[in-house]
Amino acid sequence: MDINDIIGYTLRIGVIISVILILIGFALLYKEPNLTDLLSPHSKTNTSVINPVSVPTQAIHGDGLALILLGLMVLVATPVVRVLLGIIDFARQKDWLYTAITVIVFFNLMLAIFILPHFVK
Amino acid sequence: MLLASILSGFIGSLTGLGGGTVLVPLYTLFLAIPIQYAAGASLISTIATSSGAASAYVRDRITNVRIGMGLEIATTTGSIVGSLTAYYIYEHHLAYILYIIFGIVILTSVYPQLKKVSFELPKYMDPDWTTRVFKLYGKYYDEALKREVEYYGIRWWLGEIIMFFAGMISGLLGIGSGALKVIGMDWAMNLPIKVSTTTSNFMIGVTAATGSSLYWVFGYIQPVMAGVTAIGVLIGAFIGSKILPKIRNVRLRMIFLAILIFLGIEMIVRGVELAR
Repeated sequence: MDINDIIGYTLRIGVIISVILILIGFALLYKEPNLTDLLSPHSKTNTSVINPVSVPTQAIHGDGLALILLGLMVLVATPVVRVLLGIIDFARQKDWLYTAITVIVFFNLMLAIFILPHFVK
Repeated sequence: MLLASILSGFIGSLTGLGGGTVLVPLYTLFLAIPIQYAAGASLISTIATSSGAASAYVRDRITNVRIGMGLEIATTTGSIVGSLTAYYIYEHHLAYILYIIFGIVILTSVYPQLKKVSFELPKYMDPDWTTRVFKLYGKYYDEALKREVEYYGIRWWLGEIIMFFAGMISGLLGIGSGALKVIGMDWAMNLPIKVSTTTSNFMIGVTAATGSSLYWVFGYIQPVMAGVTAIGVLIGAFIGSKILPKIRNVRLRMIFLAILIFLGIEMIVRGVELAR
């Protein structure tokens, strides 16, 4: 299988997993205690008050909100995986210029996901 | 909200603009959703449509993965700058600026729309040093022309500069800013329009993932709203992609462009009202 096929399938599978998680999350949402706030356009519940590390465990326990959040996290992670696959592909072709370029793109993603959040808070 | 996002995904896929350009105005102007939340939901759903559409084009070999990746250095950097700027603007209650910029961006994105009606290949230009160094060439099979098209890009540096601004607009407004990306490849790098649009779509996912991570920390993503939007835009985009090949009607395109122009003007009007 060609790397382009793998990248294509990765993107598709990422989106499918994410959609399934979000849909299950919505189905379980009725159990949430603060449902009215969650459905309001001016809701106070947003990603700044949620600890991303605790999301997967809560999702496993059938928490609807956590499942939706996990779905959104999968969505954000999909392009990251895609860039990682790109690094592997260019390195395998011994195309060092593009390996370096892809590493820079990956670094920018890591900067936005893990490093900058510590400075803005 | 679901209907608005389906509609946005539908118009977005038919015009090639992605859902966000229609979604954010609909949410803020008609559903009274705070612009931060509208932008957050929009940006994260942009990843879904980009990944969904790109998966098909990558395998069709029309997307130029190399050119896309090279330009993502600039879009991701721009997205970080844009998201941080958006944070500053919201913290200082200057959101009216974003309404006005949004309106201007919509109105300017009408330009490539008019151009896309023609399927011509770019006119000949001599390759430059960046063509060789960054390997800006490729080929694809053109369905409409019924032949293999070989092409190459030029002025990589100019492409990068435009992509930086495309990324910045994406982070600032929570949209994919596909129109600006297309200008970067079509106009600056002289690539065929089909390669430009599919590669742009491919790049939007990575750009939006960068911005979304920062939006996440800033708290601009309301989970329920973002979830509904992602699903809705995907449904809309799916319906759009099924209908698109059957649409040859120029008048229908003009209706969509009129909607875009209307939304653009409305956003500017709202911005000016808020500024007072």
